Amino acid sequence: MSGEMDPELYDILGDPELIRIARKLSSASAPEPPLDDAFKSALRRELMAEAWRETEGKNAWWRRVFAPAGLAWVGAAAMVVIVASVVLYTTNQPVSTGPFQLVITSPQKDSGSVALRDPILVSFNQPMDHQSTEAAVQITPATTVAFRWSDDKTLYVQPTSGNLAPNTQYLVTIGPGAKTQGGNQIDTPKTFTFVTQPTASPSALPSPSPKSNGFGQQLTTAYPPTGTTYPVVWSADSSTVYFVAAGGALESVPAKGGPTKTLVADGASLPAIAPEGDRLAYVRGGKIETLTLATGETAELAVTPAPTALGWVKDQLYWGTNEGVYQAGPSGPTRIATIPPPNDTTAILSIAPDGTHAAFGRDTSLFLLDIASGQTANLGQVGAGTTFQGWSPDGSRVVYNGLIADMSGRTVSALPTGDVSWSAQNEILLGSDTGLFTVRPDGTGLTKVADGTYSRPVWAPDSSTFVFLRDGLWVATAPTLAPAPAATDQALAVVNAFMQARKDGNSDRALLYLTDAGKAAYNTGNPPLIPLGDSGFKRFYVLYAEGDPSTPGSVRVAVRMVFGHGNVEQTTIEETLSLRRAQATDPFLVDAVTAAAPRDVTKGPQVVGMTITAPKIEVTFDSDLVPTSVSSITLQDSQGNVVDATVNYADRIVTFSGLRLKAGAHYRLVVLPSVVDVGSSHIVTEYDLDFVGPAPDATSGGVTPTAAVSPSPSPSPKPTAS
Amino acid sequence: MSDPSRDEERRLVDRAKRDPREFGALYDRHFQQIYRFVYSRVREQTAAEDVTSEVFIKALKAMPRYQDTGRPFAAWLYQIAVNAIADRYRTLRPSQPLEDFHDLSVGGPPIEEQAAERDEIRRIWSIVEELPNQQRTALVLKFQEDMKIEDIAIAMGKTPGAVKLLIHRGVSRLREESGALRPSE
Repeated sequence: MSGEMDPELYDILGDPELIRIARKLSSASAPEPPLDDAFKSALRRELMAEAWRETEGKNAWWRRVFAPAGLAWVGAAAMVVIVASVVLYTTNQPVSTGPFQLVITSPQKDSGSVALRDPILVSFNQPMDHQSTEAAVQITPATTVAFRWSDDKTLYVQPTSGNLAPNTQYLVTIGPGAKTQGGNQIDTPKTFTFVTQPTASPSALPSPSPKSNGFGQQLTTAYPPTGTTYPVVWSADSSTVYFVAAGGALESVPAKGGPTKTLVADGASLPAIAPEGDRLAYVRGGKIETLTLATGETAELAVTPAPTALGWVKDQLYWGTNEGVYQAGPSGPTRIATIPPPNDTTAILSIAPDGTHAAFGRDTSLFLLDIASGQTANLGQVGAGTTFQGWSPDGSRVVYNGLIADMSGRTVSALPTGDVSWSAQNEILLGSDTGLFTVRPDGTGLTKVADGTYSRPVWAPDSSTFVFLRDGLWVATAPTLAPAPAATDQALAVVNAFMQARKDGNSDRALLYLTDAGKAAYNTGNPPLIPLGDSGFKRFYVLYAEGDPSTPGSVRVAVRMVFGHGNVEQTTIEETLSLRRAQATDPFLVDAVTAAAPRDVTKGPQVVGMTITAPKIEVTFDSDLVPTSVSSITLQDSQGNVVDATVNYADRIVTFSGLRLKAGAHYRLVVLPSVVDVGSSHIVTEYDLDFVGPAPDATSGGVTPTAAVSPSPSPSPKPTAS
Repeated sequence: MSDPSRDEERRLVDRAKRDPREFGALYDRHFQQIYRFVYSRVREQTAAEDVTSEVFIKALKAMPRYQDTGRPFAAWLYQIAVNAIADRYRTLRPSQPLEDFHDLSVGGPPIEEQAAERDEIRRIWSIVEELPNQQRTALVLKFQEDMKIEDIAIAMGKTPGAVKLLIHRGVSRLREESGALRPSE
């Protein structure tokens, strides 16, 4: 709770004393209550079990036939008649010798995203003999399972390890040995397939509840004035807000509320405060005046042409005109950058906080001016109508038209619509007349903070509060910043989008996720950007993602692409992508790729995921392994020597612990054909997966294979009838 | 600007209406806030677990009948929770001291002022606990759960106007019963 007032309550309460009490009520926050995670999980399981039962009931054929509920009695009566008729008919008929029809179905059939905790559900259209049916069930990959029946027609198949394997296509077969309780035996195997989700993701975080109809506190109604408005200016210590009111009066108001104070009676414009907070500059009467706040003394500087922008770089005052950028030198104004003519429709709009660049407008176009070289870069299309929206705190990025660009004008990321303010903590506020959002500079993490009017927000320097326009100037406590995702998670989101674009065959979209080097790598055609061939690109999933200490700021992601026809998966290709970003607030881009040779999908245990931390590596297989064969899974260094480790196996996961991997050194996971699953299957040829040693502090964040979700929304084509 | 979280919620609700097995995503999304609300009313972990279970099981069973009225799905869950708590209140009254739940920390002013502020807030909330049930529920949903009036109306099965009246009466009652609660200058 903010302790600040919800505007919705003003209408209800009216009376200032009631509002004061309401504010007190709002200021006490409710901490998270004691919670037993086991309860939360158990309740979820109970709900899911109930959901399964409901689904079975909903799918009963008689219910479908006789729905809606209004027909229930008619349906029930008809059922009685039908059942009676069938009984009479069958008792008066000779014993049928024709083939019986056993229908086997599963709600999971053809699903591309079965939850790992779900049991495999098999439904029969008639009561089954439990023993023979259970004996006839085959699960591929080989999985040790337990059985549970519901009403003789529904069989739950639960892996004894607790969960299904992630990223895995399961083939469920009910073999010819299965019998009905009437003694009929199926003559041909019945099969269905489904694909599981990635590794069980952590519980979804509750989405933050937007504040009701806004929050905040009104500071003054004297801003914005009618006519030209100049952006408000915060004091360096975030305690005071300066603004230009009607008639050019320069005023201040305490950020926590209080009376306004007039600093300059009239005629002021373009206020700009020194980073130290000791001086406030503004334009008045064709001169730049600098007010020393502590003493009230004012220094004047006559300038021509008239300034169109004013800014401080450290303790140096800069200003811009229609001709260029100036600073105050010992002998008066000095032009330090010149805008190429024509200058009649040109004006410097803003000077970057680091003083290296300025933004200037010409007609309706926006340009960047490199102050040192005088070079210009065009932002957006010339004449397209371009709006300058601000700078990153370090001045290395410019925001315009909802885009973030670097100083060469190259677009780095895109933002949703809204008035932009970029905080020193690299959180961007997006304000509008209908709501307030936060978003990260890479365009991710869009979160609604509040409903209501939050126009033109401006962060305080300490990022604790911000001002905005509603009916006047308001201040509000800054929203709690959601922790930025780990670099690997951010990279995984990019990989997911990049791979989905490739799977969709959309090369234009896929190219958006590549650096120039990445484009060059795929331009060679090996690997191809858009895989073509006889087999369809069925799905993809991430095997691991890890920060790469050998190249700071980069992330390696191993991704497997699966190709096949119908529901038959035939080949896989693995690519190791190297992702980089120019600076921490930019989105990751794929900068390099290495591709392994295609592998045929054969029987035998497959690696479907790996987590890498400095002391421990966990390798997840798709099938239950024969424990004694796990010794044929090794880690090797770049020389091919086996790395010392304690190896354990449980629930499809092989764990290498006690490791001392060297950061940035190259290692290889080696799975030999002698590794056998409980179905006595083994792979045909050795499987290798390369990775690098993580940074020593990568104790838990080395890999988050959960973030990249395989393309579950696009289900596989319907398999052939089983 | 569209509200992505709202759009996502609509998708989850639609899927859960079609297939109850999709309800898990809604559970994951709303468990924490419903549990927190329930706990704040019953103040006892076992009771909170019982009521929370009841809320979500009822919601699951009623999903096919759920109608999206444009309000957040959570408002409907709160509605079920309010009713479940009301049932429980008929025989049970929360007994845990208020300060055990409401975090009365305030930042900024000197420690003496903070202490006075905490004391005042504690007293106000203690009076909330003595309000009639409907007023108390409306104030908790508004000031603790930070809900919109229209959503509270759904949760309580009342009109927005009635909720406004409850809040006004509730806060007015707080003023009347806290004569000593004067603004700290």
